[in-house]
Amino acid sequence: MNTSDRAKETPSGKQSPPREIARRLISSRRSERKAGETPARAAAAACDTLYRELSRWVGPDGCHALFTRALADTRTEYPALAQIQLRARSEPYIDGVAETIMAHGDPATAEALESMLVRLVELLGRLIGDDMAVKLIERSLASSERGDAPPDDRREEA
Amino acid sequence: MKEERAVIRSLPSGVPGLDVVLGGGLPEYSFNLIAGGPGSGKTTLAHQIMFTNATVERPALYFTVLGEPTIKMLRYQRQFTFFNPDLAGSAIQFINLSAEVMDQDLGEVLKRIISEIERAKPGIVVVDSFRSIGGQHGSSERGATFDLDRFVQRLALHLTTWEVTSFLLGEYTEEEQRNPVFTVADGILWLSQATDRNSVVRRLQVIKTRGRAQMPGLHTIRITNAGLQIYPRIPEQTRKRALPKRERLSTGVPGMDEMLGGGVIAGDAVMLTGPAGSGKSTVATQFMVAGLAKGETGVIAVFEEYPEEYVARADARNSEVGRMIKAGKLEVIYLRPLDLSVDETLQAILEAVERVGAKRVVIDSLSGFEVALAPTFRADFRESLYRLVGALTASGVTVFTTAEVSEAFSEARFTTEKVSFITDEIIIQRYVEMEGELKRVMAVIKMRGSNHSHEFRLYDVSAKGVVVGDSLTEYDGIITGVPTLRAKPTRIKRST
Repeated sequence: MNTSDRAKETPSGKQSPPREIARRLISSRRSERKAGETPARAAAAACDTLYRELSRWVGPDGCHALFTRALADTRTEYPALAQIQLRARSEPYIDGVAETIMAHGDPATAEALESMLVRLVELLGRLIGDDMAVKLIERSLASSERGDAPPDDRREEA
Repeated sequence: MKEERAVIRSLPSGVPGLDVVLGGGLPEYSFNLIAGGPGSGKTTLAHQIMFTNATVERPALYFTVLGEPTIKMLRYQRQFTFFNPDLAGSAIQFINLSAEVMDQDLGEVLKRIISEIERAKPGIVVVDSFRSIGGQHGSSERGATFDLDRFVQRLALHLTTWEVTSFLLGEYTEEEQRNPVFTVADGILWLSQATDRNSVVRRLQVIKTRGRAQMPGLHTIRITNAGLQIYPRIPEQTRKRALPKRERLSTGVPGMDEMLGGGVIAGDAVMLTGPAGSGKSTVATQFMVAGLAKGETGVIAVFEEYPEEYVARADARNSEVGRMIKAGKLEVIYLRPLDLSVDETLQAILEAVERVGAKRVVIDSLSGFEVALAPTFRADFRESLYRLVGALTASGVTVFTTAEVSEAFSEARFTTEKVSFITDEIIIQRYVEMEGELKRVMAVIKMRGSNHSHEFRLYDVSAKGVVVGDSLTEYDGIITGVPTLRAKPTRIKRST
């Protein structure tokens, strides 16, 4: 199955669970951050948050391996991701967002990053089961929303 | 002032057989070490304990350090039937400590563990692998060892103070038992995996449980898709033997009860030995069928042929074994697969006995049983068989075993000398050459506390089974296999 297969909306018009959870992640970041946050920056912040929170469960190395694979898979469909770099054990985790926005525009960058998140959820699901993958990510999301982890305020404006 | 002892509650381990070995379960708030080599089942054991005890209110925290990556661990663990994904993330929380272990000192590791405990207020904490922490910080340098000592002490204190039952998992060797964690631990479960020739056997030993009388010895472990199962050793001396009623049970073999002074004594262990083809299995089946005909129930453990074949062969003699199985009166269990331990065999037979409420058990044969065991256990066959027979007869079951003895024609081997001591009654069968024909004879050579015939008697194996015939009192030298007729034959006819 390629990246887009599961990412597309289901025939009933309902989003696939990975797409749904990716969008929830991004919208939660948007609501927490400054007004006027662009969709691409919110998507990048969601990736940062997920990396940090998921690392608590599966370790930074395991989490970085997942993101690396997700990025590699998604790049084939989204050239906008060419300049995106992952910086393991760093804050922010997603690097090159400003350059990508400048080169491809905010909507295209946001769509590409969202697809990368979707791919990551799918990958995790293939490894440990969709149900548990969604649970772990939801748990990470809840933990982030509760403020168990340090606030994600290190992403600089471009 | 009235003295009141603090009650230590027991947590169920969720591992069949383990609570018995632990003397009732896992002591609540204990600080435990699960040690053993790679692949011995440490991680699976810890998961079974977590999934049995974790609740949303008192979750389990599973700290992973270095070693098996968490994603892979979850991928494999969730294949077990005990793994309930609904609990993951809520009642069971996985936390990775690799960053703290690799980048920081033991103080930071402890701080992170304590902060997670304060946050989640868990009932169970697992650290997998604790050896990774010790390995990173517990080098032979004096300072590092001291740090590890203090770390273990503080960790144990915090965990107990927070009323946590904890398990540290680690790959340790027996030479490493001076590691501070061994001293501090309230309980030590040692898992091992021994390879003998081409068989592999996993075993568990409870080295220490504070405040509990655990079952000593090595207990076999089997890992299936349901997780670990422990097969406890059942020391004969811990069981009270039911007072025998000395009731006589019919063997179902015409003429044989007479040789036995009226039949087999209920609750005894009987052994029938003989060479190949002498009719041992036939007699054993007749013994079982005689009990079934009286309304008793039974279990037959077969090692040398498939149950279907066994039943078909028995039913060819109108034994109605198949019908009795369908009626739930009889269970035929097949224990042929190699690499069994005696404990597993014992467990399988005892469970079957329990299921049907068996009064008679046939083990056909001891020779097949010995071969079915993993090579590791064959060395302990005598001792193991002693426990097996002891456990069965202690509960009032009459055990009928068969054993093949190879015999040179010129000498009779009464029994397999290795195992004859476990039996109360021994009957032998053998071939003799008489009047130019190969004939079968049998004799009772041992019956504890009872008179019995001392004659050799001919017997036939027909389509209907074994029938005992004439006594051979006019012959000498039967034991040599080539008897000689005395001058005046006085064959005594017996009614059967």
